[in-house]
Amino acid sequence: MKVSYRWVRDLAPGLELAPVEAAELLAARGAPVEEAIDLGAGLGDLVVGQVLEVGPHPGADRLLLCQVLGPEGPVPVVCGAPNVQVGMHYPFAAVGAAIPGGFRIERRKIRGVYSEGMLCSERELGLGEDHDGVMALSGEFTPGEPLATALGLDDTRLDIEVTPNRGDLLSHIGIARELHPSGESSLRLPPFPGDAGLDGISTARAADSCESAGVRVTIEDPELCPRYMAAVVRGVAVGPSPRWLADRLRAAGARPICNVVDATNYVMLEIGQPLHAFDLSALGGGSIAAGPARHGESIATLDGEARSLREGMLVIRDSERPVAVGGVIGGIDTQVSASTVDILLECALFGPAGVRATRKGLGISTDASHRFERGVDPTITETAIRRAAALVVVVAGGEIDGAVVDVNPSPWLAPTVALRPSRVGRVLGVGFVPAEISELLAPLGYKVEPSDADQLDVSVPGHRSYDTLREVDLIEEVARIRGYDTFPDELSRFLPGTVPDHPLFLLEDAIRAALVAEGLSEAQTPALASPEHGDVPLRNPMTREESFLRRDRLSGLLGHLERNLARGVRDVRLFELGAAFRAAAREGAAPRESARVAVAMTGRTAPLHWSGMAEAFDLFDAARVLELIGREAYDGARLLPAPIGSAPPAYLPDRCLALVAGEGDPVGWGGEIDPVALELPRWAGVVVGAEVELPESPSVRPAVAVREVPAHPASERDFAFVFPADVPAGAVIDAARQAAGELLEALEVFDLYEGSDLPEGTRSLAIRLRFRSLDRTLTEREVRDACRRVLVRVKEETGVEPRG
Amino acid sequence: MIDEASRLEADALAVIAQAGDHAELERIRTLYLGRRDGLVSGLLRGLGRMSPEDRPAAGAAANALKVAVAEALEGRRAELEATTALARPAVDLTLPPRRRWRGSVHPVSRAIADIWAIFRSLGFTRARGPEVDTEWYNFVALNTPLDHPATDEQDTLYLASGMLLRSHTSPVQIRTMEEYAPPIRIIAPGMVYRRDTYDATHTPAFAQIEGLVVDELATFVDLKATLAEFVRRFWGPAAQVRFRPSFFPFTEPSAEVDVKRVIERSDGRREEKGWIEIMGAGMVDPAVLENVGYDPERYTGWAFGMGPARVAMLRHGVADIRAFYENDMRFLAQFA
Repeated sequence: MKVSYRWVRDLAPGLELAPVEAAELLAARGAPVEEAIDLGAGLGDLVVGQVLEVGPHPGADRLLLCQVLGPEGPVPVVCGAPNVQVGMHYPFAAVGAAIPGGFRIERRKIRGVYSEGMLCSERELGLGEDHDGVMALSGEFTPGEPLATALGLDDTRLDIEVTPNRGDLLSHIGIARELHPSGESSLRLPPFPGDAGLDGISTARAADSCESAGVRVTIEDPELCPRYMAAVVRGVAVGPSPRWLADRLRAAGARPICNVVDATNYVMLEIGQPLHAFDLSALGGGSIAAGPARHGESIATLDGEARSLREGMLVIRDSERPVAVGGVIGGIDTQVSASTVDILLECALFGPAGVRATRKGLGISTDASHRFERGVDPTITETAIRRAAALVVVVAGGEIDGAVVDVNPSPWLAPTVALRPSRVGRVLGVGFVPAEISELLAPLGYKVEPSDADQLDVSVPGHRSYDTLREVDLIEEVARIRGYDTFPDELSRFLPGTVPDHPLFLLEDAIRAALVAEGLSEAQTPALASPEHGDVPLRNPMTREESFLRRDRLSGLLGHLERNLARGVRDVRLFELGAAFRAAAREGAAPRESARVAVAMTGRTAPLHWSGMAEAFDLFDAARVLELIGREAYDGARLLPAPIGSAPPAYLPDRCLALVAGEGDPVGWGGEIDPVALELPRWAGVVVGAEVELPESPSVRPAVAVREVPAHPASERDFAFVFPADVPAGAVIDAARQAAGELLEALEVFDLYEGSDLPEGTRSLAIRLRFRSLDRTLTEREVRDACRRVLVRVKEETGVEPRG
Repeated sequence: MIDEASRLEADALAVIAQAGDHAELERIRTLYLGRRDGLVSGLLRGLGRMSPEDRPAAGAAANALKVAVAEALEGRRAELEATTALARPAVDLTLPPRRRWRGSVHPVSRAIADIWAIFRSLGFTRARGPEVDTEWYNFVALNTPLDHPATDEQDTLYLASGMLLRSHTSPVQIRTMEEYAPPIRIIAPGMVYRRDTYDATHTPAFAQIEGLVVDELATFVDLKATLAEFVRRFWGPAAQVRFRPSFFPFTEPSAEVDVKRVIERSDGRREEKGWIEIMGAGMVDPAVLENVGYDPERYTGWAFGMGPARVAMLRHGVADIRAFYENDMRFLAQFA
């Protein structure tokens, strides 16, 4: 909401706050000022100059030489504008003055004649678009007086952020009420210059339909339109508004259009009631009705759009067709134009829900709909139409025909809300006595009557009858007017809550810590993705790139990895925790949402070092990370080669591992990423990745049950097995482990060798077995027996024998 | 006998001083102190043949000899040790250490963790809820009718099914209160979604942290004091807090919380930053408590929400929020 602070002060005599102070108070009241613009900015050096003489320039046909009376007596000024007249006043920049934009006027010789200043056009001053001539000032002026004062530009425009509950602040009077120390009782609506008043004009009232000046006004649906007032003004001359009106609208950030329309906008900005003016001659059948649109109706609106109306939308119709979308926008056929002579002024109350549904249905928002959606004061309707009619007569001439019509099916009654002072204290944490509450609420127009020991009956004023209808709404008002900063800053006692810390957060914390310790950097990717990476589409996406919910987390990470490589970063180690979404099992159900952790790595496993270069990341690094996550997330999780045909498409199918926990599908995958699907620079090496779905409610890991630290020595034996490539090492390892029995403390694979000295198609696997007993030193014989069992079992199960 | 002892001592000390390595020292030790044939041992054995009156003095001399030889051996051993050390190959200790990659926590995660640490110490636990939710949880249960100006469909991302991506973490309030009885004292970090296009301060998906307290004694003063305490713990004791009235459909009274950071430099100078909006907060609207079956006459509540990405931007001097989602290693690694 943009307001002219000067206008606000005109409505609130005695309001002494400077604009900056007003802005601070508004912020403390919940309506922060986003911007305060000094409208006279840049005009500080300009004054009013009166032209005393105009004569031809001796050296140029197209120029004039004037004598201009400014602050220091008459000076010669060369001027090229054709409209300069003797005796008139113009904006004048004397030598040394700066005009907006910073240009400074100097004494300058123009075609042989000195010019000591400049008469300015609207455009040069940033006051308008006119550049055809200098800006003629109309009215009484003293030559040399500051231009800003003369033009009423010693004003500040406040751009106020108004929350959706405060429709009452969408007017100058609403802002004045909030700012004036004694509030409501000090406000007034000053008469317009030349305003004769409407005292002789009566009001014709009816509950559903009423006729005056040959126009019948009807309310068809009191839900959509609780009240409709109208006035006919005949004989207006449509044209530009007088300067004071146009200036005022501009000061409040509005654009002047023509005198009739400007008059309705003026009243809306002043007291918050939107109005509309119809060209009476365009209305068919001498009737106006407010009600729901009928099937198949349409209207061409003021913005030039042809709009089809849905049944039930709020429209104003004449005897034939819709002529306006009620509370939203007028029709183009009935708008006021230069040839309009008679007008019908509409001043109605439209219900917030109806206006909102209608304007959303049409996909537009206007100054009027913005106010009706937030609630227009139901007590100002008559004030508004009389003020608007008076202003039309003042600025456009004409006279009011007949009575002002008021169709009002159920006159408004002020709601009363019961407010318990004890409850105010209970919610706010500070005690209040009834008198204090009364003092705080009265300036805003609330009438507070004690009705019981602990009850006040609060009568709600019209301008707050949309947002303060409950006790708690008034409690907020008490806190707001008292000022939030006046409440003490004291911590109180509290009871611990009943909600346990969610175990999934604990698991995520543990995984994050483990992966950071692995040297990975945490990334974050929005869960919105392009169709290639999602199963669940959005209904109202903004872009194709963000039109689906992400089905996995790895694809996003690989995208970041690609971008890092493209920027020349060779070592990339990323992980992220986040949600992924799969299509719902049945239509209409929620998509399956799961917490995931994903990893993507490429480059060296350690930074460069003088002692030697670390190896590059490979599949087995992905395996380590996968195993690590599995350990944190699942009890007894283990790695298996991905069964044929099961690897997710991101991985090379023969270089992919599955993380399995219990029965059922794998909970995660890891391995070497298929480079075909990535965009990589030529120098890029192997890329590995992993992704694990986390359990919905992870079980808390049981405490470690400590094993005794062994006191007896261990015996170690090394074996080398040579076996064909088609026998998996895992089979040899598993067989050895099982055969070694309970004396086996550890099994380590310490070498894998494939060389030309081995038979074609074979490799050699070196395994170290460590045997130990907790209660005795093992005998040579026990160890030998265990080793024999290992050899026999490995041969039995895999056919593999130890190397020579 | 005593002369014999001092002669042996002089000899022994002389050879020990000359010994060039550990093996030679060991030979000398055996020569003098060897249990069977050692010269000092022999001397001690000779004591038995002496007269009882001479024996004590001679015994003392022999023992003193034994101690002196042992000490000299030890001294020379330590000397040799030190000499050998100098003989090891030199290492250039100015060479860089053998480093590993250092991982890093994302700055937004870090902000969440630090915020959580403070609220944990104030008695809060963490709750969570789904990111895809219903209009009921995201709007209606939170006292936000679907035809209210605050519920603009333009701002919310919907699925074809009519479900939506939560536009704030407040649905977690409802879900938590449905599941648990008061007192409630939770924070709920999580991702939320809006129909915002990318710019320096907006992304369509961003993190939020919700807080909720419901109790028989929760008041506006309590809300103010707790959030002010949080601000001072997070931004330092000199930070200032300001509460301004605002509007949220699910709280009343509602407030915007502004922070003025005050940076105290090591040279004692203070730099005051401007006021920055960091949180929305307020007393839980009684209609919200009614929607979850709590008695609003018995219980009151307060709630707040803030954006950890914004907090992280302020903290690390990040001017453009998009830097958080580009995931450039050179950006992320700075937080290692």
